[in-house]
Amino acid sequence: MTEFKPTILAFCCNWCSYAGADLAGVSRLQMPPNVHVVRVMCSASVKPEYVMKAISQGIDGVLVLGCHIGDCHYMTGNHRTAKRIPVVQKILKDIGLDEKRVRLDWVSAAEGEKFQKVIVEFVGEVAKLGPNPLKEVRF
Amino acid sequence: MRVSPWTEMSAMNVKHVLTTCPYCGTGCNFYLQVVEDKLIGVVPCKTDEISRGQLCIKGYNAHAFVQHPDRLKTPLVREHGELRQVSWDDALDRLAKEIARIKEKYGPDSIAFLASAKCTNEENYLFQKLARAAVHTNNVDHCARLCHASTVTGLLYSFGSGAMTNTIPEFGDADLILVTGSNTLEAHPIIGSHMLKALDAGARIVVVDPRDTPLSRLAHIRMSQNPGSDIAWINGMIKVIIDEGLADEEFIRTRTTDFDKLKGVVKEYTLEKVESIAGVKGEDLAKAARLYANAEKAMIAYAMGVTQHSNGTDIVMALANLAMVTGHLGKESTGLNPLRGQCNVQGACDAGGLPNLFPGYQRVDDEQARTRFEQAWGVKLPGSPGLTLTCAVNEAAVGKLKAMIVFGENIMVSDPDLTHVEDALKELELLAVVDIFPTETTKLAHIVLPAACYAEKDGTFTSTDRAVRLLRRAVNPPGEAMPDWRIACELAKRLGAKGFDFSSPAEVMDEMAKLTPIYGGIDHERIDREMIRWPCPTKDHKGTRILHAQKFTKGLGTFAPVHHSPPAESPSEEYPFILTTGRNLFQYHTGTMTRRSPKLERQAPEPYAEINKADAKGLGISEGDRIIVSSRRGSIALRARVTERIIPGAVFIPFHYSEAAANWLTNAALDPVSKIPELKVCAARIQKG
Amino acid sequence: MREEHGNVAPIMISKGEDPGDVRTDVPYQLITILGNIYPWMTDGKKIAVVTRKCDEKALAEFFKRGYFDRSRVIQIGLACDKEQIGKCRCRDPVPSVVDIGEQQVALGTDALSDKLLEMSSEERLRFWEYQFRKCNKCFACTANCPVCFCDECVLEERTFVPEKGVPPGMSFHLIRAYHLSDKCIECGECERSCPAGIPLLTFRKLVAKDFREMYGFSPGDEKTISPLLTTLEGEPLDGDECDEC
Repeated sequence: MTEFKPTILAFCCNWCSYAGADLAGVSRLQMPPNVHVVRVMCSASVKPEYVMKAISQGIDGVLVLGCHIGDCHYMTGNHRTAKRIPVVQKILKDIGLDEKRVRLDWVSAAEGEKFQKVIVEFVGEVAKLGPNPLKEVRF
Repeated sequence: MRVSPWTEMSAMNVKHVLTTCPYCGTGCNFYLQVVEDKLIGVVPCKTDEISRGQLCIKGYNAHAFVQHPDRLKTPLVREHGELRQVSWDDALDRLAKEIARIKEKYGPDSIAFLASAKCTNEENYLFQKLARAAVHTNNVDHCARLCHASTVTGLLYSFGSGAMTNTIPEFGDADLILVTGSNTLEAHPIIGSHMLKALDAGARIVVVDPRDTPLSRLAHIRMSQNPGSDIAWINGMIKVIIDEGLADEEFIRTRTTDFDKLKGVVKEYTLEKVESIAGVKGEDLAKAARLYANAEKAMIAYAMGVTQHSNGTDIVMALANLAMVTGHLGKESTGLNPLRGQCNVQGACDAGGLPNLFPGYQRVDDEQARTRFEQAWGVKLPGSPGLTLTCAVNEAAVGKLKAMIVFGENIMVSDPDLTHVEDALKELELLAVVDIFPTETTKLAHIVLPAACYAEKDGTFTSTDRAVRLLRRAVNPPGEAMPDWRIACELAKRLGAKGFDFSSPAEVMDEMAKLTPIYGGIDHERIDREMIRWPCPTKDHKGTRILHAQKFTKGLGTFAPVHHSPPAESPSEEYPFILTTGRNLFQYHTGTMTRRSPKLERQAPEPYAEINKADAKGLGISEGDRIIVSSRRGSIALRARVTERIIPGAVFIPFHYSEAAANWLTNAALDPVSKIPELKVCAARIQKG
Repeated sequence: MREEHGNVAPIMISKGEDPGDVRTDVPYQLITILGNIYPWMTDGKKIAVVTRKCDEKALAEFFKRGYFDRSRVIQIGLACDKEQIGKCRCRDPVPSVVDIGEQQVALGTDALSDKLLEMSSEERLRFWEYQFRKCNKCFACTANCPVCFCDECVLEERTFVPEKGVPPGMSFHLIRAYHLSDKCIECGECERSCPAGIPLLTFRKLVAKDFREMYGFSPGDEKTISPLLTTLEGEPLDGDECDEC
């Protein structure tokens, strides 16, 4: 019996979390497969539309990683993210998907280990939830 | 007290004008929003019985093409290969002179008129009066020849009347809806909306279609039959119903004839035989048959998938057999319901835009009927049926037909076998086209006349469920464009004809009503306030919702013993695919209107062909690849859409895109009775482009 | 609204013109209609509009974004009757000033919302999946929505709604729900104009409830700014040309 390996999309902001991801890689920290990292300049540029589209097309989990509050390269970008992503989660819950399929977290450039921890935790959570039911839905 | 819309007001003039949609045959009413003389949008009409305050995407954009800069604004005449602007007098005089010359030299039957399913009842009445009274020919036809001609001939035989038997809102209360040959949610979205209402209330839906359509994905039973195999599965269903004692014996006994002939034929169509011909699973067919027969309120809805075959008339009669066997006729939420495509194709037929029928389906070769019209119009009329559109094209190709006057039709994209059409049109000594936009057909015309569109004139459209609905003028036509009724009258007068002095479309309807019993009680004032469906024979008649309630139009319904026959062109080694053509939701017919509506064009801007995933894989074709699809008649280049929505071995191409017109490939094989071409089946080949 | 040609039509009349028999029972979304014609009303004259409570809230959303010059719009408050309140499952049916009609009590709950909240996620997903499968991309929900005022609608972009035909996938509805989360005033016009009979008002109410519980914010008040447009401390976010996303 093969274990379900979820497909994850991870949006990482250039200044903090992507650098943190880099550090995790350079430090050869072990990470689960099927995690697709997308570098964005700021977590605020992750329009909720992208998250919604990804989920409706069958992606099992979407991770949005930004700078810690107060450290955003664009000052208040991550404030915007902090307000938006919870709304996305609630909307998914309202239509019957699990809000745990979308996660928001803060990772700094120096936090290679935190990056790995978040990824491993998230992949584990999503694996427990099983494949995105919308994968089977043929509209 | 209501202020006239034309009064000068101190604030900016804003009005909401209630009118009928120019797209499909559903006939939704909505408000055109006008500020000063500018059309800015559409507001649905919440109290409209048919649309209930809802519209499809085309309805919401029905204003977008009206004031487009491409609109024809002046008459044009071809000189030295180029079209040049002339005055109305000049153009009409030339046209009249040419018609007179050709009539003199070759006889009146060398001229053909194409009436228009996009023009009003009043206009179509005038077009056929022009052809018959002014030019003395019965050569008048229109695009119904391409879509529901089989319905007219088939149901005329089975029931005595070729129209939808019940009404659109009744779909919402049905228990069982059998839909075949209709992609209802895309081609008639608001009729589909009524079906969805029934679905939400627990109704069952059965869809029989080679394609996987939005409706079939919601259906309880879905069967994908081989294109053209419809008589097999319909006869198979009837056999199950008879064998299992589900037939309505009383109805058959008291309301029909020739049942024994039908029984004799259907007994051959065992589930095994049906499966081998049609490719549908026996148990699905049996289940569907039982559902249909046992339901209390069962409706059949059908469209092009049934009619556009070389045996289209037979398929329609087979469906009529199915309805009669179960007695699902003449009652609420039952019946046989052809969904007519154009906004006024029903009306164009009703108003006599047909070569063998006067207004009201009275035959031109019936002396009594003809005498009535001769007396009313004050002129002798020709008694033998004229040429159908498809035959007219053939006659033009061999030089027997010399002139075509086309009102609002783009035959260079909508007719089958376009190479043949192009050759035919080029042979004509006179091709005159009246339209609202320049088209592939106006490119070949000698004379082009600019017409007003639906938003710029008064008149009536008759929807598919026989409702006669008003158009109300909302804005002025562009430049010198004139409504078709004026153009027809001016032309007739110049040909020396009498009886064309009308000052309004309402007057035309008054004359038509006097001669057309089914429209007898209809006038503009009445339908301004009331919803009337024909037959409405007198002024105090409320109209008729359900046909054949006590008896059929011809008295007893007739069972037609029809057998399956294969399509005219089957796949071969060289052309291994079945090509089927049709519509998509966002575009409309030859695209003259929708492609100029930004929000619609944006949704489906490019021509495409739907290919089955397995077939695509076999040919090494991926989504979006450029491919060439060819048939014995031509080839076109377009993009591949790889999908599971079409059965393996078949390819679907929508006919809307003139740059890759599906009709370069289609087969003009005609049904012998209705002369409808087999647009739904021909053989094709696919190659990577 | 007025009875005309056997139907009930939305109408605009000038000062001094007799309105005839005005009807208030057919719920046309007058703010949407106003939104369509306002850009063309370049004569600067004042426009009075009959407003229910939801219309008043929609106008508040227009005013706070500067889309209407509030000095040009005069509101004539209309209190909805019991039947209308029932159809909209309305929680807030009484306008600030009632000029027409008798004020009635709010209803409080939407039976379908309650039912959905009791279902398991799988059942809920099956429910919405069936509902959205009926969607025919008519865009009625956006066309008739008073607070849907973007010039360029993101739902027309293939980038976000990738399906080439119909029905569009879930992303259409999810994106719309997000865009409306801080603007929807629960007028119910989306649900009334949907040809597919999708219970859109229920969907809006579910999201609005979550939004309210999370941010203590309800749309329709001119004085409050959407939490999606403020920092975590409640200060307006700066640097926005278009602040709708």
